[in-house]
Amino acid sequence: MSDRTTSDAAPEPAFSPSLGDTLARGWDERVDELPPEDWGRRRGQRRTGTVWLFALFITAMAMGHAWLSEELTGQAFLAWATIFTAISFQALPFLVFGVALSAALTAFVPASAYQRFIPSRPSRAVPVAGVSGALLPGCECASVPIAGSLMKGGVAPAAALTFLLAAPSINPIVMIATAVAFAGQPEMVLARFTASLLASVVIGWIWVRFGRADWLRPPARSHGPGESRWKVFRESMLHDMMHAGGYLVVGGLAAATLNVMVPREWLLTVAGAPVISVLVLSLLAILLSICSEADAFVAVSLTDFSPTAKLAFMVIGPIVDLKLIAMQAGVFGWRFVARFAPLCLVVGLLSTFLVGGLLL
Amino acid sequence: MNRMAQGLTLVLLGAAALTSTVATDLYLNWVKPGFGPFLIAAGVAMAVLGVLVIVAELRETRQEPEAEGVEHHGHDHSRAPGVAWLLLLPVVAVFVVAPPALGAYTVETTAGASGPPPDQPRSGRFDDGLVDAEPGEVVPMHIRQFVMRAWIDEERLLAGREVELTGFAVPTADGQGWYLARLQMACCAADAVVNKVVISGAPAPEADTWWRVRGRWIEPEGELSDVSEHGFEVVEMEEVTDPPDPYE
Repeated sequence: MSDRTTSDAAPEPAFSPSLGDTLARGWDERVDELPPEDWGRRRGQRRTGTVWLFALFITAMAMGHAWLSEELTGQAFLAWATIFTAISFQALPFLVFGVALSAALTAFVPASAYQRFIPSRPSRAVPVAGVSGALLPGCECASVPIAGSLMKGGVAPAAALTFLLAAPSINPIVMIATAVAFAGQPEMVLARFTASLLASVVIGWIWVRFGRADWLRPPARSHGPGESRWKVFRESMLHDMMHAGGYLVVGGLAAATLNVMVPREWLLTVAGAPVISVLVLSLLAILLSICSEADAFVAVSLTDFSPTAKLAFMVIGPIVDLKLIAMQAGVFGWRFVARFAPLCLVVGLLSTFLVGGLLL
Repeated sequence: MNRMAQGLTLVLLGAAALTSTVATDLYLNWVKPGFGPFLIAAGVAMAVLGVLVIVAELRETRQEPEAEGVEHHGHDHSRAPGVAWLLLLPVVAVFVVAPPALGAYTVETTAGASGPPPDQPRSGRFDDGLVDAEPGEVVPMHIRQFVMRAWIDEERLLAGREVELTGFAVPTADGQGWYLARLQMACCAADAVVNKVVISGAPAPEADTWWRVRGRWIEPEGELSDVSEHGFEVVEMEEVTDPPDPYE
């Protein structure tokens, strides 16, 4: 028994000190600029240490697999683990795809190409970015790193943010999924497209007018001109994967916890109230953090709610949710998220009420 | 998190994705079958990227003696934030916990959420084989198709027909009877929706055991939309080993 406890405790030091450090330091600071903790130690030694740490981790997992798997029978824990793993693995391919595309944009597309395609005046660039969001299939997880690399390429931040919001909301896959889920209700597809595009563009314009550059931690990484493009590609992909991926797991943990903990009965009791039901489904969309490609199927299953409330679920989900907030914080910083997420929520809700009132 | 750790994490994550898809069918517990190829591609991409990073790092170590001192500047931009360690959690989940498909627990805890399926006004859209089947023939149906028929079909074509359903057993809240249930998944287990019917005419089997049940819909009196749960009268039932894809 004693060796069992040590074996599962072994990986702990790997998580806790670094996570604690990061929390204490504040997410906003540029970790990169701090002197490394092990300044002066030889890097070779450090690497060997890392390899040993991972060897220990893998051994601990093997022991955990041998002994713990049988012990883990708590029903609630297993349901939680299933949902966490499901969210992580559902998002992973999209994340890898988005990160690869973003790295390719960084490495192979010169900044001048963006200037040719996207108008230089931010107020004109915003609607262009919004409409181009309709072209790229991918979910939220993919669009965060892509928006980062657009900014690096010299696209106005407001336009890149509009793209970030529009791409997961109105891309062809999402539209098809919505049409399949709400078969026989084409007005719902139209309402979703209109409300999401409207919200994305309006948020972009608000950012043009009121946004301040220092709220946004620019994902600035200048690579020496001498570096090969493939190296830039590899480094950029690694960087985005590590930053966005860690936060994706945070979002997955939060969403899985809520999914298991929050009983759905209380949702049904409020379904009758017109405005409150819209707010409740918006809140649910934020908490559940379902991929935009799947949310239509969930929305259609919430049968007791009004069409406008379902629309809110599908408009708010792709632009504000826990997973997205965590990922945006990783790429752009918390100062940005603290302003951007509430803005998205308010504009998204207004747009939902407007379009829902007109079309549904 | 230094570069070596990042590379190793990616390799482990890739290995977890590949283990759950290529080596085992674990991924079916979490996502749709059609998602397998994407998971494999993502797993390969992550493992390759991880290996490339590790190789680059080892190569730099060998060249380090002459480059040392100069290299400290600007190299640490490649350190990842501490939160990236969390990427090891899915790895632990796959290799240590190996989460099973959602089952009776989820059905019990979402008891209140089960209601009539979405209002779909067009009745010509049932995807079950009821209309094509010969009269008297046993029609195999998903529980999803069955409850859809039961709640929406105002013509009540289901009445009197013999139907075969497959699902797992869930005891009812009062402990008296049991449901045959199956979870329907749109995308991943996080959005799973419960479909269930109340079984009568057979004693409750152990929770989470899988059964193939043949029997008839218990036609309710009054409006179909007022029914809170539909009943199923068993004629015959046999236990089945877990189907490879636990979701509908």
